[in-house]
Formats: sequence, C-alpha cells, structure tokens
Amino acid sequence: MDQVGNLLHRPRLYYNVDGLGELGASVMCLGFALLLWLLMRSPADSIWHRISFFAFVGLALLIRYGTKAVKTRITYPRTGFVEYRRQWHTSAIAAALGALGTVGLAVGFRRHWDMSMLASLTGLVFAASYGYNFARAVRWKWVIVGAIAVATFVIAFLPADVLRALGSESPVAHPDRAKLLGTILLSLMAYATMLLISGGISFWLYLRHTQAPAQEGQ
Amino acid sequence: MNQQIRTIADLDRVIHEPGRLMIVALLFAVDRADFLYLQHETGMNKGTLSSHLSRLEEAGYVAVTKTYRGKVPQTLLRLTGAGRKAFEQYRRNLKEAL
Repeated sequence: MDQVGNLLHRPRLYYNVDGLGELGASVMCLGFALLLWLLMRSPADSIWHRISFFAFVGLALLIRYGTKAVKTRITYPRTGFVEYRRQWHTSAIAAALGALGTVGLAVGFRRHWDMSMLASLTGLVFAASYGYNFARAVRWKWVIVGAIAVATFVIAFLPADVLRALGSESPVAHPDRAKLLGTILLSLMAYATMLLISGGISFWLYLRHTQAPAQEGQ
Repeated sequence: MNQQIRTIADLDRVIHEPGRLMIVALLFAVDRADFLYLQHETGMNKGTLSSHLSRLEEAGYVAVTKTYRGKVPQTLLRLTGAGRKAFEQYRRNLKEAL
C-alpha cells in the first residue's frame, strides 16, 4: 500500500522536476523583497505606495504564466504534460492562513509588538514545507532545508541594531517596526538566494539529463 | 472461504495488474496527463503502455483524447468517474485484505 501511496504523491513532486517551482518561488521572494524595499525607502506619496497591490498581483501573474510558458517549451516536450486537479480545500486553507497572518501582522503593528523573532522563525515552517514539497523527491535538497533552517536562526539572533538599520529609513518611526521590516527583508533575500541556487541546479541537471523523444507521434 | 480471502478474490483484476495499477494511481492524483508523462513515470515502453491503456479504456476507467501540441500529436489521458470509484474501491479492498 505504501508504494501505491508513493505513486499518488509522484505527480505533485513532478511539478518541480525541472526546478521551475523553486525558481518561481525565488523570483516571488525577490520581487516581494524589492517591493518591500521600495515601499520602505520611498516617500509616502510616491507612486509605489499607490500601485503596490497591483505590483504584487502583476508579479504573481508573471510568475504563474512565465513558469507555464517555460514548461510548455521545455518540460512538456521532454518528460510530459500534467494538469493538476483543483484542490479547493487546500486553496481555502491557504487563503484563511494568509488572512489570519495579515490580520495578526496588522494588529501587531498597531500595538507595537516585537514580532521580528516570530517572523524570522516562520522560516522553520518554510524549511519544513520546502522539505515536504521539494526535498522528499531529491535527496541533496535536504542540504537546502538545513541551510534555510540555519539562516532562520542566524536572522533570528542577529543584533537588533543590524535589523533596525535595514528598516531604519522607512517612513515608520517605531524601532520595533523597523526591526520587523528588516527581519522580513533579510529573510526574503536569504530564502530567494537559496531557492535560486537549488532551482538553478535542478534546472541545469534537468536539461542535461533529459531530451525530447523523436517526434513520431504517441 | 473466510472474509479476508473473499476480499482478495474481489480485487478488481483490471486494476490489480502492476502496470495498470501504476497508471491508475498516477492518473488518480491528477486531472489529466499525457502519454509521455506516463511513459516517463512508469518506465514502460510505448507498446506496453498502449496495451495497458487500451485495456483500461475498454473497462471504461480511462478516457483517451487525441490532440495536437503545436504540430506534435499528443495523447491526453484522464481517469473517468468509474475509474476513480474503481480505484478507491480497490484501495479499500486491498487494505482490508492486508
């Protein structure tokens, strides 16, 4: 029965067979970091504060359709096409968790809670999720899981001054907010770098070890 | 014949064959996939895979759609409602039998 269970999980692991899942996540983290940095450094009346929502949506769409375009040209002709079932309950849980996190962040901001430790330790959740979704299929990716966990602890225990300095030029005045923004910015950049390295290696290995079969129909 | 042995005898023989079990399990987890994907995942050659798919299609478990991806022919495969039910039943029976 375990082998049947493994077979049922294989299509999900196939999503990142070419490393594009990680590269997409990396671009997402880098884009979020860039937008956050722009919001922090630009004056309150700048265009970035007005179009930030659209920029986030644009980035998400770019990643979705960009990944699809690369898969259509490279992955599907080499190792096949898969269309996944829409898992409404998974999307609903993700949306609920996202909304809960946003509300928690907003409340924390208002009440001036020091949430930087909590924010950086979410990296452990990210590491676990990465391990479950990506590293199960490819053993060397457990190194990346370890690196994400280590980066999480390093960021969590960095001196507060360093983190505040990263968010210090933001329009928000409270030092805890600056520390939190610095933590998020640094975490996003660290995760993006690791995902970029891991996804890049996977993509290179995929291109090296696969090729499209001779086109004689199927 | 005790209950456990009867459950083994009741296993769906169309799905129980290892090659077809692989195909059905892979298709169960997705909405649809193409022939090349199944070939890549199962490691079967075209002839063997085609023959298993024909058997599954005959049983009404798999729907086959022939289409084109650009100028390249593409065979898309989807597990039918009957195929999903049969696989779920097969897993239940197998669990009971083991």
